[in-house]
Amino acid sequence: MTNKLIMLSLIMTVILGACKNGTESGHVSGVNMIADGEPQVAEVTGAPNVPAPVGNRGPKKWIVNLETTEIEGIIADSTSYTFWTFNNTVPGSFIRVRVGDEVTLNLKNAANSVLPHNIDLHAVTGPGGGAEATTAAPGKEASFTFKAINPGLYVYHCAAPPVPMHIGNGMYGLILVEPEGGLPKVDREYYIMQGDFYTKASTAKKGLYEFDNDKAVAENPDYVLFNGKKGSLLGANMLTAKVGETVRLFVGNGGPNLTSSFHVIGEIFDNVYLEGGSKVSHNIQTTMIPAGGSAIVEFKCEVPGEFVLVDHSLSRAFNKGAIGKLKVTGDANPKVFKADHK
Amino acid sequence: MKMKHISYIIFSIIFLFTSCKENKPTVTELPSDSIFNLTSNWKNQYGDSLQLKDLQGKTLVVVMIYTTCKSACPILVSKMKTIESKINRKEINNVSLVLVSIDPETDTPEKLKEFAKTNKMEAPQWIFLTSNELDTQEFANVLSLKYKKISPIDFSHSNIISVFSSQGQLVTQEEGTIDVDKVVKTVHELAKK
Amino acid sequence: MLHTLNRYTFILIVFLLSCNNQNEMQVNNSLSNTNVTTIQHTFSNTKMVYIPGGEYKPFYGSDSVLTKVAPYLLDERAVTNSEFLAFVKANPQWQRSNVKRIFADSTYLKDWQSDTELPKNANPDAPICYVSWFAAKAYAQSVAKRLPTLDEWEFMAMADETSPNARNKPSYSDDIISLYLIKERQYNAVKQTKPNYWGVYNVFDLIWEWTDDFNSILTTNDSRTGQYEDQSLFCAGSATSSTDVLNYAAFMRFALRTSVKANYTIANLGFRCAKDTIINKK
Repeated sequence: MTNKLIMLSLIMTVILGACKNGTESGHVSGVNMIADGEPQVAEVTGAPNVPAPVGNRGPKKWIVNLETTEIEGIIADSTSYTFWTFNNTVPGSFIRVRVGDEVTLNLKNAANSVLPHNIDLHAVTGPGGGAEATTAAPGKEASFTFKAINPGLYVYHCAAPPVPMHIGNGMYGLILVEPEGGLPKVDREYYIMQGDFYTKASTAKKGLYEFDNDKAVAENPDYVLFNGKKGSLLGANMLTAKVGETVRLFVGNGGPNLTSSFHVIGEIFDNVYLEGGSKVSHNIQTTMIPAGGSAIVEFKCEVPGEFVLVDHSLSRAFNKGAIGKLKVTGDANPKVFKADHK
Repeated sequence: MKMKHISYIIFSIIFLFTSCKENKPTVTELPSDSIFNLTSNWKNQYGDSLQLKDLQGKTLVVVMIYTTCKSACPILVSKMKTIESKINRKEINNVSLVLVSIDPETDTPEKLKEFAKTNKMEAPQWIFLTSNELDTQEFANVLSLKYKKISPIDFSHSNIISVFSSQGQLVTQEEGTIDVDKVVKTVHELAKK
Repeated sequence: MLHTLNRYTFILIVFLLSCNNQNEMQVNNSLSNTNVTTIQHTFSNTKMVYIPGGEYKPFYGSDSVLTKVAPYLLDERAVTNSEFLAFVKANPQWQRSNVKRIFADSTYLKDWQSDTELPKNANPDAPICYVSWFAAKAYAQSVAKRLPTLDEWEFMAMADETSPNARNKPSYSDDIISLYLIKERQYNAVKQTKPNYWGVYNVFDLIWEWTDDFNSILTTNDSRTGQYEDQSLFCAGSATSSTDVLNYAAFMRFALRTSVKANYTIANLGFRCAKDTIINKK
């Protein structure tokens, strides 16, 4: 009996201690971490790719260069649309840092831009997320420096007026702030961002489509898309993985208006970093991603096949374009899934 | 006696001549981005006419205010006073603290002098300037300061304290919640140069 | 003795004066190179149209306050490449290699082949761009005009082709935005499209235009954040303080104006001139 009690108290102590350690390490404030060395230019990537994990490295200083552009691109089939972008892609380049990193963000507005642009990073603690500090007229540059103090997956976007139009035209992206020690290792990581698009034919240029303010106000988009283009994750552009691999998706929602019900048909998310924060939930079928928000989802690929990524508000998937695929190759695993052919 | 006078006078002439010569380079070799390139005409609190280039040679701490302002300007003025008090006394002779009026119509040299007296800003390092609407607008634009007359007596404006080198080049600007110590530090660093 | 002293004093005074003169001459010489206020007149035959003014609701501010715009004259079109070329020929201090950085940044008259040659293939009748506010102001002075105020410009811009105030027409803002979204419009000649109700050409379809008081739009860190919404041009602020939240075209103009500094020169930013008038045709 006493033995058991001693054992119990010992176990309790260990648990308590571990618990304490856990909270302490969680409480080491990013504010007081010292970023080492000379600033280096950070690698940034276009979707669906992400830069290399931060791993075990300490806090550092980075320079992130982004260029705002206004370009014509294909939105669906052969329809041209005037996109506004960070680094010529929708979504904009993926930025990957860790807690305690010091980031100097240089925003250059292309010389042939019509409008001023800026950047509001939700990962920034400070006025406007940097929007005012980075407002750049056509052909001009602006910059500011911030310290990443909260880990998480954050949306960034242009906040120049009219904001819904800048976002509606594709001016958003993700910045990942990894915790100390980095996120757990996985086999594959991908970058996906949903956005709603409101279009009408330009009255100034034939064959070109542009932002429709009325449809945006009515929140009635023509397209709801992953990565700014119908079919961006279909056909030759499908995401890929192998049976047995763990996949991590960094999923953001630029909006400007719709909330996404993100779902992968035929998979259950083993882990979801809810709303891109630190709380991990398990065994999730569909996760909500608010406009201007994100989620990190992880799952293990147990069986081969084409797994369909959708916004489970399904009209968006089947009528407005919010659909993509992950192709998993490898050996079948009948223990997990077996079709009974008659 | 006579000789003494002559040599004295000759000496003075030579002295004047050389001092006259020395003025030349300061007039001709201004950096392209110097505020001393502006040719607007101003009056100080003593009613003297001057141009900005007459302030050349000293570090300038510049703020735009109007004396009848009840909201932000008193804070800006007190920040300027704090900055002045924190500048090393050995360096203060090389610094001018310049308050430029946004409201030239109301802020006559007499008004400015009175304002200086009321606020105990009468030491030689304090310079108050007023001009006309056009030149005030030009100067505000050089500082990238936004302002708007919102009633006959009131202006809305951004709160900026700027530091210029002795050659009139903008060194730093503090906007909004102004970090006084940062301004003082900048002034100190310029003094070392 | 006294006599000689006087003589010497006289010499001294003469020296002093000559010294002063020399100094002044020096100053004057340097001024003639840099002085922005000494502007040589240049010829302009740009037709000006009469804008009767009136009261209008500014885009920013409180809903109930109407702003009065006095009658004025406005150039029917933007200042062109060829006109600005004539101006810099008459005013060498405004040529690219002479201009002071404080008055125009490094892209001033970008692409010009030399101080007095327009860019290759440039249409002489296209609007001048890559000019700073200071340069625009100096040009206006050279033709005995001025820049329009923001209120004057916006008052004029309420018109469409058929009415003086088209703000409430559903297509008004949309059509302007369609024009705004087209890039590199600034290379087209002026007056190739229809004028608005007042007879003003190319209000929206070629360039952004400098206004005299572009710096009067207050954003953050202002002394009266209650009255002029703090951060009024970012995020939520813009939705609460503008009087016409659906007028995205106006948002875009104001965004541009607040993003520039007076010495900025930009690929699609030019200007037209205005003038006071004592005529009141009302």
